[in-house]
Amino acid sequence: MPISRRHLLKATVASGLLPMMLSLARAADWASIEDRAKGETVYFNAWAGSQPINVYINWVVNEVKSRYGVTLIHVRIADAAEVVRRVRDEVRAGKTDGSTDLVWINGENFRAMKADKLLFGPFAPALPNFKYVDTEGKPTTLNDFAEPTDGLESPWGMAQLTFFGDGAKIAMPPLSMAELVQFAQANPGRVSYPAPPDFHGTTFVKQALIDTIGQRSVLKSVATKELFAHVSPPMFTLLDGLHPHLWREGKQFPQTQAQLKQMLADGELLMALTFNPNEAANLVAGKELPETTIAWQFSAGTIGNTHFVAIPVNAKATDAAQVVANFLLSPEAQARKADLKTWGDPTVLAMAKLSQDELSLFASGAVAGSIKTPVPAIPEPHGSWVPLIEAAWLEHYGT
Amino acid sequence: MARTLRHVNHRLKALGGLLPLGAMWILPLSAGLAAALTSTFDAAVWAALFTHPQIFPALALSLTTGSASMILSTLLAFLIVAGLHRVTALQTWMGGFLAVPHLAFAVGFSFLIMPSGLLARVVGVFGDWAAPPQWITTQDPLGLSLIVALVLKEVPFVTWLTVGLMARRDVSQMLEAQSRIGHSLGHGAASLWLRVFIPQILPRMRWPLLIVWIYGASVVDMAIAIGPTQPPPLAVIIWSDLNSADQAINARGSVGAVFLTLVLAALAVLFAGLTRLLKPTFRSFLVSGPSVEAVPVRSARGLLMAIAAVYLIVIMLLAIMSFGSLWPFPDLWPSQFQVMAWEHLWDAPEPLFNSLTLALGSMITALFLAILWFEEVSARFDRYLLAAAVVALALPSLLIAEGQYLVFLKSGLNGTWWGVYLAHLSPVFAYVFIVLSGPYRAFDPRYRSVSLGLNTNNWRFWTAIKLPIMKPALTAAAAVGIGVSIAQFESTQLIASGRLSTLNLEAVTLSSGGNRQLLAMYSLLLMIIPFCAFLAASRTERRLQ
Repeated sequence: MPISRRHLLKATVASGLLPMMLSLARAADWASIEDRAKGETVYFNAWAGSQPINVYINWVVNEVKSRYGVTLIHVRIADAAEVVRRVRDEVRAGKTDGSTDLVWINGENFRAMKADKLLFGPFAPALPNFKYVDTEGKPTTLNDFAEPTDGLESPWGMAQLTFFGDGAKIAMPPLSMAELVQFAQANPGRVSYPAPPDFHGTTFVKQALIDTIGQRSVLKSVATKELFAHVSPPMFTLLDGLHPHLWREGKQFPQTQAQLKQMLADGELLMALTFNPNEAANLVAGKELPETTIAWQFSAGTIGNTHFVAIPVNAKATDAAQVVANFLLSPEAQARKADLKTWGDPTVLAMAKLSQDELSLFASGAVAGSIKTPVPAIPEPHGSWVPLIEAAWLEHYGT
Repeated sequence: MARTLRHVNHRLKALGGLLPLGAMWILPLSAGLAAALTSTFDAAVWAALFTHPQIFPALALSLTTGSASMILSTLLAFLIVAGLHRVTALQTWMGGFLAVPHLAFAVGFSFLIMPSGLLARVVGVFGDWAAPPQWITTQDPLGLSLIVALVLKEVPFVTWLTVGLMARRDVSQMLEAQSRIGHSLGHGAASLWLRVFIPQILPRMRWPLLIVWIYGASVVDMAIAIGPTQPPPLAVIIWSDLNSADQAINARGSVGAVFLTLVLAALAVLFAGLTRLLKPTFRSFLVSGPSVEAVPVRSARGLLMAIAAVYLIVIMLLAIMSFGSLWPFPDLWPSQFQVMAWEHLWDAPEPLFNSLTLALGSMITALFLAILWFEEVSARFDRYLLAAAVVALALPSLLIAEGQYLVFLKSGLNGTWWGVYLAHLSPVFAYVFIVLSGPYRAFDPRYRSVSLGLNTNNWRFWTAIKLPIMKPALTAAAAVGIGVSIAQFESTQLIASGRLSTLNLEAVTLSSGGNRQLLAMYSLLLMIIPFCAFLAASRTERRLQ
């Protein structure tokens, strides 16, 4: 049954048509998916390095149990790449009842799973709540690091490169790369970023590339060595100018964003960066940073992307996994997630598609450490740029 | 006829020693290695490894940290033992320290020495500092802070080995007789140490010292916590390659691991050859003298106190940090407290339970397998198993775990306690076997002849005579085994596949976002559990005696 539905869906996606009849058939189909999901157990492999996120997932665990009779287990992981390798090994060994039913994923991990055909689906467009997703206003909900999702993963939340620090120590936060260089110059040794291939570090370097490249559209295409060599020199000029003013004169870098954040909390650095626009507010709420903490982005925009949930091809509980993915897209779950007092993860839904009641679920207002002025989100360069950026960075600054 | 029978019997006995070991250790380990290393015969992958811009500086860093930490910890341990070997408490405390997992110690130690750490805050009180100094302590480019942390962690291990070796009745009687001769020939205590004791002790410690060296050269978790980054030690590059979702990069990691292991093996063989060549030079030193130099007891005591103080400060610091959420520089005390981290443990005690059962289970099995081998298999085969154990410890745990994961897929062991237990057994047995091999094989066979002559059976001889003599070595091996099992991360994560969790798994995943309170709490637990287990064990042992 699910296989025929998938085939059908593939055909409709391919033809670009979505006739009414089909959506009716799908509604009936969805009811039977929910039926079969009852009593199933979903092993949800999700990064567990943040307390507010774990608390939120725990809320989802209780909700899907009482609403759909689905047992959700949060498998705490430190890095989603581990799940990619685990599923790849399982599939290669012909194991059909895999260890993972749902995984929190995006970027290169998604690209690897898609390329190796390790994902179940397409399933996302058929989720009843997918109709709320802001696919026009937030194109990254369909393109993960410029890689089409093809319905193989369901959007969960939005991320955007964000900086934060103690407002009591920073009079004027740097609102562009050029201002950041001046800021580092004025505060020698008090600015740094994680060394690539930590993805926060790679993102910072990507931001430098975006801000120095003439034509951004070139980043949407597949990268080649020649193309990279042609467009990257201004970026390296910028980094060459920045590094001597960084922590340890740019000769050592923190290994991870976690370390960067800790160095900010300890006062060793003046600012840190994150992909979760509300992380600073979370840290204030968790009493890890002072109340005077501020967060900001570059005024011309910073790199933004979407994070997703996907179902491995050998998942045991595909029905229940879809039920959970659908619940994660519900206005209620999205509103709770976007609440700055819980996780504060921006929603993937389009406000215009929601009813008045659903809209009222989304609380507004600000808390200490939250973003005050939103800026445009710049889509990620195509994933093929990442290995070239990382290799070139290592060559320039690795020894 | 009788002779053939005895021969067959002998063979059977050897087989009895080998079978469980083969099934529980050699088989999972070698199957894991075979599965993991298939990609290493691709020339293109080797080319990719050697074009990595950091490969040679990173290799140099690995070798210097490994060598410096091994040499320094051996020298310091000998100084401590020479000065204080009669202090019985020495053995107990050192045993407690050596059971502490490396990473947990490194986490606490870096809180102490980093530029915003306790040390800088104490100094800052006099300097009126508003911001942390721009000291280059942790992550120094030469890896000096990593070496210091390794030395602090290995000195207890080497001290323990030395004390354990010297405390054995057979060895101590021999050394006592020799020291009487030495004294009457006019040698002072220091001279006796250098010329008589060390030349006899050192060869017996060569395998454990080899793993101290290999540990320092291939350590990942400690290096990430306090080591340099540009370049990092080679093992860190390998680890990050093996962790990637990209198969080509995984392959480069596997090849990197084989490369590092081959370099270490080649250097070990080279070193062994060199010592043989240089023996005459050593001899000329040995026969020179006499010198009346005394052992520097005072510096030995000072050194021991300093090491113990660091451990105690680290434990206290971790305890404070596990409660203090906000602790800005230059405050000497956290400004905000919460019990969040400890509530976590209270809500989910299952990981603690799993850690304890896995540690005890794998440690007891490893002791059993090792003793079975020593009792049933001739000593001349030891070197093969020792070499296998060293290889098992030199290769990255992630690589072995990945291979074991593939093998366990077929037998349904993944996601079970038994699968994780077998995975833990790989490094635990390797350590236990290496730690035990010296003391166990040095057991004087005359004890056995005498007691059998007195008409005791084998079992009685073993429990009444051999066990008490071997007890210190066995307790040390147990302490190491527990510490190693408690500290396992990669193998646990992969093979547990989300079906069960351990303390260290919780520690790594929950602190992957950098929550220092959780990190401190788990590090503290990972430190004090083996520490207390060890102290309790040696207490009861003494009471029983």
